[in-house]
Amino acid sequence: MVFDTLVAEFPFLLRGLWIGIQLLAALLALGFVLGITLAVMSVYGHWSLRLFAVVFERIFRGIPEIVLLLLFFYGIGELLPLSPFVAAVLALGLRSTAYQAQIFRGSIQSVAGGEVMAARALGMSRLGAIWHIVLPQALRRSIGPWTNEYSAELKATSLAYVIGVVELTRQASYIVSNLQGNTLTVFAVVAAMYFVVNRLGNAGLYALERRLTIPGFEGRGAES
Amino acid sequence: MSDNPILSVRDVRKTYGGVEVLKGVSFDLERGQSKIVIGPSGTGKSTLLRCINLLSPPDSGNVVLDGVTVEERGINQIRAQIGFVFQEFNLFTHLRVLDNVRLAQRNVLGRSKQEATRRAMEELERVGLSDKLEAYPAELSGGQKQRASIARALAMDPKLILFDEPTSALDPELTGEVVQVMKDLANAGMTMLVVSHEMGFARAAADEVIFMEGGVIVEQGPPSTLFTCPEHARTSQFLRMISHEHQEA
Ligand SMILES: Nc1ncnc2c1ncn2[C@@H]1O[C@H](COP(=O)(O)OP(=O)(O)O)[C@@H](O)[C@H]1O
Ligand SMILES: [Mg+2]
Repeated sequence: MVFDTLVAEFPFLLRGLWIGIQLLAALLALGFVLGITLAVMSVYGHWSLRLFAVVFERIFRGIPEIVLLLLFFYGIGELLPLSPFVAAVLALGLRSTAYQAQIFRGSIQSVAGGEVMAARALGMSRLGAIWHIVLPQALRRSIGPWTNEYSAELKATSLAYVIGVVELTRQASYIVSNLQGNTLTVFAVVAAMYFVVNRLGNAGLYALERRLTIPGFEGRGAES
Repeated sequence: MSDNPILSVRDVRKTYGGVEVLKGVSFDLERGQSKIVIGPSGTGKSTLLRCINLLSPPDSGNVVLDGVTVEERGINQIRAQIGFVFQEFNLFTHLRVLDNVRLAQRNVLGRSKQEATRRAMEELERVGLSDKLEAYPAELSGGQKQRASIARALAMDPKLILFDEPTSALDPELTGEVVQVMKDLANAGMTMLVVSHEMGFARAAADEVIFMEGGVIVEQGPPSTLFTCPEHARTSQFLRMISHEHQEA
């Protein structure tokens, strides 16, 4: 019976999902920290830093994910052996950096310049004003667009199977080859798992967005 | 005039894109004095205020605050001694009123949370906002926003406060509460340099009026003289114009 085997194999799918979620968390975290840094550099930095940010974004947005994965695993792996997981975090995380930098740059630029001027007039340093005034507002405004990035990267984790990360899609194809058939059923379960994680993540992000909405701005752009 | 003014502005010049906006402006401000700056729009009044605390550094000339030349070195500590009140309030949108008033006290002056809270509450009480400590800027009226921003400046214990058209963004019925706070401040001995066409404030609280036009000071003097018998034809023309505007408003 298909269902007996599915039940028996389900722990493997869960294990694959768990690896996929770890990969997602790691690459989004890397992209978050570097993306904010890149965005701040490209708005407030010296022209050389702005140029660096532009070139970085062009490169990482211009190369297909699979090619990046292969480049990092086989290319950089030549010089410095990387585990498939680490190679995937770097390849997808740096690509996510480029996309997240774009999100954060837009929301940083949307923070009223007058507030930064007021902070500077009070004697706060440039970095102090960015940290205390700009980022808290910019990050709130980034949550909406960031949900798209979350969904895109969740789906991108499935590509890591090409360099041998045993995540959900990889586990599924193992199971399919063991079962010899039932491809549709197995992949339907896998699809449902991606779908649920995507919905849960988005619901969590929208809840966070609502929670962080500044009183007086309710209903001005927060998605319900 | 005493020989140690709190603020001394000497021959300040500023050019934007080839146009000289300030063409050598000089004046002094004594401790406890209030001066009001009037003049047509585009004349360089805001630029003058921003040159004083180097938000826009002057191209030449200098500014001396309480005997210390204002320069890029150590500018943050100097700015902390010069309050600035903006036409658009520029409150920090994401912070409650109390935190708006506490932030720079902690971040710039290094005050403890307790001390910053105490000073914030004192100044918010002075401007009549004790019941709005927990409100966010978007929940305040324009007049309340401007009073909160005045409290934010006062809590830093500045040596003087610069006001750039503090009532121009307000509905007419809300200007009164802000003007009243400013009058009280002037009477309490705060040193103030105010760009504004609020004649009520000028008559009641300004020690001197400076009339600026085209990047220079055309004339200055006590309100009683400057408003009643100005020396320059341009000054009387301008005064007639703004008194018409105020009657229409
Ligand atoms: N940051 C700036 N960049 C370029 N031009 C400016 C800038 N700030 C002011 N100006 C110009 O300088 C002139 C004086 O402006 P401003 O000081 O704002 O006048 P006022 O406050 O008296 O209305 C205006 O012509 C304005 O366009
Ligand atoms: Mg102005």
